[in-house]
Amino acid sequence: MTVLVAWICIFSPFVGVATTPLFGRGHGKAQDLSAVLCTLVSTVAALLLLPELLHPNTLPIESAVRWIQRPIAVDFGILIDPLSIILVNVVSLVSFIIMIYCVGYLKNESNRTRFWMWMNGFIGSMLLLVLSNNLLLLFIGWKLVGVCSYGLIGYYYQDQRQHWIGGPTPTPFVKPSQAALKSLVVTGMGDMLMLGGILILYFYAGTINFIELYDTAPRWFAQLATQPGMVTLLILLLLAGPFAKSAQFPFHEWLPEAMAGPAPVSALIHAATMVKSGVYLVARLVPLFYYAYWVAEIEQAALFFHITAWIGVFTALLAATQGMVALELKKILAYSTISQLGYIMLAFGVAGLAPTLLLDGYTSGVFHLVIHALFKACLFLCIGTIIHAVHSIYLYDTGALRRYMPVTWVFTLAGALSLIGLPPFPGFWSKDAILLVALEANTLLFLVALVTVGITSFYTVRFLAIIFHGTASTSLKSIHPHSGLITEGKGSMRFATALLTCLIVIAGIYGPFVEEVLYTSFQTSLDTKISTGTVLWSSVPEQSSSHVLVSILALTFVFGGAIAAYILYIARKWSPQVLINKYSAIRSLHTFFLNRWLINMVYERVFVSGMSYLTHFIANDVESRWDQIVNRRLPGELTNKIQRLVYRLQADTDELVYNVSYVLILFVILLMFLLLIPNAN
Amino acid sequence: MMPIILLQILLIPILASAVIFISRRWLGRASGWIISLALLYATFLAALAAIEVSSGRIITEQYLLIAPGIRLGLLADGLSIPVLVVVLLLCTALSFYSIHYVKHRITVLYEKETEQVKIEHYARFFYLLPFFPVGFIGTILSTNLVSLYFFMEVLTITLFFLMAFFGYRERVRVAFTSLSWGIIGALFFLVASLVVYNQLGSLEISNLGQFSGTSFATLAIVLFLIGLMIKLAMVPFHVWMPWVHAEHPTCIAGLLAVYANLALYVIVRVIAIPLSGDFEPFGPPLMVLALVTMIYGSLLTMAQTDIKRLAACSTISQISYSVLGLGSLTSTGVEGGLFFFLSHIMGKTVFFSTAGIIVYTTGIRDIREMGGLARKMPVTACLWLIGCMMLSGFPPFSSFTAEWIMFSGIFERGLLDGGFGLMIAIGGLIAILLTIAYSFGAARCIFFGPLRPEFESRGFTDPPWTMTVPLLLIAAVSMLLGMYPEPVIELLHSVVGNI
Repeated sequence: MTVLVAWICIFSPFVGVATTPLFGRGHGKAQDLSAVLCTLVSTVAALLLLPELLHPNTLPIESAVRWIQRPIAVDFGILIDPLSIILVNVVSLVSFIIMIYCVGYLKNESNRTRFWMWMNGFIGSMLLLVLSNNLLLLFIGWKLVGVCSYGLIGYYYQDQRQHWIGGPTPTPFVKPSQAALKSLVVTGMGDMLMLGGILILYFYAGTINFIELYDTAPRWFAQLATQPGMVTLLILLLLAGPFAKSAQFPFHEWLPEAMAGPAPVSALIHAATMVKSGVYLVARLVPLFYYAYWVAEIEQAALFFHITAWIGVFTALLAATQGMVALELKKILAYSTISQLGYIMLAFGVAGLAPTLLLDGYTSGVFHLVIHALFKACLFLCIGTIIHAVHSIYLYDTGALRRYMPVTWVFTLAGALSLIGLPPFPGFWSKDAILLVALEANTLLFLVALVTVGITSFYTVRFLAIIFHGTASTSLKSIHPHSGLITEGKGSMRFATALLTCLIVIAGIYGPFVEEVLYTSFQTSLDTKISTGTVLWSSVPEQSSSHVLVSILALTFVFGGAIAAYILYIARKWSPQVLINKYSAIRSLHTFFLNRWLINMVYERVFVSGMSYLTHFIANDVESRWDQIVNRRLPGELTNKIQRLVYRLQADTDELVYNVSYVLILFVILLMFLLLIPNAN
Repeated sequence: MMPIILLQILLIPILASAVIFISRRWLGRASGWIISLALLYATFLAALAAIEVSSGRIITEQYLLIAPGIRLGLLADGLSIPVLVVVLLLCTALSFYSIHYVKHRITVLYEKETEQVKIEHYARFFYLLPFFPVGFIGTILSTNLVSLYFFMEVLTITLFFLMAFFGYRERVRVAFTSLSWGIIGALFFLVASLVVYNQLGSLEISNLGQFSGTSFATLAIVLFLIGLMIKLAMVPFHVWMPWVHAEHPTCIAGLLAVYANLALYVIVRVIAIPLSGDFEPFGPPLMVLALVTMIYGSLLTMAQTDIKRLAACSTISQISYSVLGLGSLTSTGVEGGLFFFLSHIMGKTVFFSTAGIIVYTTGIRDIREMGGLARKMPVTACLWLIGCMMLSGFPPFSSFTAEWIMFSGIFERGLLDGGFGLMIAIGGLIAILLTIAYSFGAARCIFFGPLRPEFESRGFTDPPWTMTVPLLLIAAVSMLLGMYPEPVIELLHSVVGNI
């Protein structure tokens, strides 16, 4: 039964992909309904899996059919364990709510077939990725997610002016089709490297099935460790995929542009699908490398956790600082996604930095993943409504919107306070849990994460303040009196956002309970995964004193950031512009953050311009010269030579004898060569 | 089981061609349909043979004497039959595609001629075209080196005529280029065959194994490889490809990809299986060369602005993927390489023929002058994106399946050899990224962005169904094989499995 439900969960969106085109133009309502319905079926199926979490002893459940026998035996199968159940619910529930939102958001689009197909394909691929029982099937979902995101980011393929992002000048604009290509190529880089990692894993383990990988870890890890540097290589290759998908440094530059699609698409990419796939895979890999490092005592395996933790926390800081100065509504949220994913990575990284931290780190990572999905989806949907209303993507084109859109204000507030991590909103619980494990692993990690909490609070309050408070911007004033267009979203949009807000509030109230459920279910599931006698990890670390300390420190930083932003943007004691003009240090920092730490610029230089230079060098210098020689000059010379030879042969007798002797000598050499080959007969 | 089925498959296109030739003056536009249906029938027969072979039988047929000791032998086993079916499928699809394309090409090319001349040209295309399938079938099914050589030359000569009559810029010069390169490649092959005959007294491929281990085997392999590498357009012998593949009538683009890539099949048939021991030292250099070609070809492609030349240069890099798989000399790698070869020719047919559709509709070849065409030609845009996905190995298309099977073989070799082999393997994976960049990058230039104002008034629409449906069907076949590769892999494994 459970198995059937899980299969239905995967296939239902794909059914949606197939049925949507059957409703042609003129059946808009039926089409919307069928598309949303398919996601609803998935959601119901996913919810039915939820009770399994309460009986972790019956898990994991596997169901598979043999897909390919040779040359690599691969199953088409699903794995139901606590991690996949949680992820499936997050993906399908959030996606479903976003789909409801889409109905209202895209009301004015004439032909939505393409949109619904991509959306359902996107959700289905993500569910396939999350539920698959082996790395290859996961990789298929992985690639499909990539290509669906390409289709959705580039949804406005005609690149109309109003869909451009970036800017205002001097910041360059980015067109949707360009953003789509960028995301495909950057994540493609990670995909390819990850495939290499999977294949190395397969070579040593002889399997790509998750359960079998866990079970046989002692054998193949020992073999792997005998090859110098192989564990390091494996870790680097395997992590490249998740880092690219989850937009971690150095692959993070695709995500800020990925919001070129419609707002619900951004919500889907940032909250439910795509970026969550990377952290999910890391979560899948954590037990393996934990085993290798702490149980099998392979020193190199520690690299996995060091990379994940340090890159995670660095990315969190990097993106948060950019969020402080960003000018576009969606871009602030995009940076915040990158930053929050950094937190999740940090949690998974610290899970392996000390033997006792596994369970806490793992739980806090997954917990934050769930909570982040809820509040980020909510925030993106609110921003979608706002952009819809004010017809601008820029922060400074809004202002005082609380007056016109009070409901949206409430929704946004719920999401934003969760992002900040203010109790009792759920973000507080999950962020606190991460900070706690970070403190126990490494003080420096903790400090960076703590500073980032402050910065997060600053940019979130700035974002709220500029949009909803203060005075209306000039562009807003010009819309308002004429048509009075600044209104709340359509019914389905409001309904979807309200649903998410409710979920956030519920998650906030039941936060500690949810964490407890996760904790116990992971305790059992990790127990079966790390199949050794050692139970180091399940001994509960003592935490009572530091727990309070962490909460207090975190709240201090939250209020610190919030008050700073309050002074600047709500009370307006100082104008930010004046500060920037007055102090050169602030000015240069501001420019540095605004230019995205110059990383994007360097990438553009190296990869885009460098590649263009290289290709032109190849085409114009190497290829055309070689072509000239082989296809033009050589035949020409040859023709000339032969012509001249023929003329000379005809010319006079002396020459003739002279030349014939050449020919004869050549002939004799050839004959000798042929005679030298002994005949077998 | 139908008697003399392989001979039928070989003769049907020849017969159809003869019919068209005899009635060329009055058959007119019907000739395209006749050839297409004949090829469809041949494909059907090949599918029947494939079912037979799948059940574990090997079909062999022996016919008339060519010279003492040389017979025309036809062999359908697990290696040749999947290749045969896919190639014939492509020939059929492109024959349907040609019906409208050739008409358009002749209108452009022989604008000033009378209607009668145009009709004769039209028939000429269709009585020449079947010799492509004939050459392919012969090359795939031959059991001895001489008939193999003969059928490869048939292809070269057919290409020469089609190019000279219906090609694009500098068509006669390019036809000569293709002919000379074809003949030079074939000559190496011929000399190698003579070395074999000199040593063995036989030209049967099945006897080749007898002389493995001798230094002459190595000599023969070197000669064979040079000849076939010219066909495969590997660096530095690739210079014919950008010209020949770009300036041919686009309706045979897919067939030209087969023409070049088929040499991989010949390598497997003639060298890798019978002479596997002697071939082993050639693996690593072949892989290095393949990697160089992959990267070089991709970089070259990225610099192209001519839509046909872009697709042509992409073939250079794509062919070398399968060579990389072959060079690993593991059964997984070779199977994957052969499967990738099949996937590539399907992908390239869709990709290049879609480029042909754009040239057909707009008459423009420079992608910088295009843009926003997706709004006017949604089906074509879809086809192009499908082609991109097929080339860059996205699921559910067969190139994805082929890619990971192949790379698992390549990684196996790399991990057994250590450092250097592993670097090649990872380099190969990264090279795929370049494919994504150029194919989807071109999609952006051609189809996305705003429509150029001057196109607004011109009635660009999707082409007639005979041009799109065959391509969609090929994509469907590729998708089917990608999701259910078992039949093809099992067949290939039955022959290649014990390398």
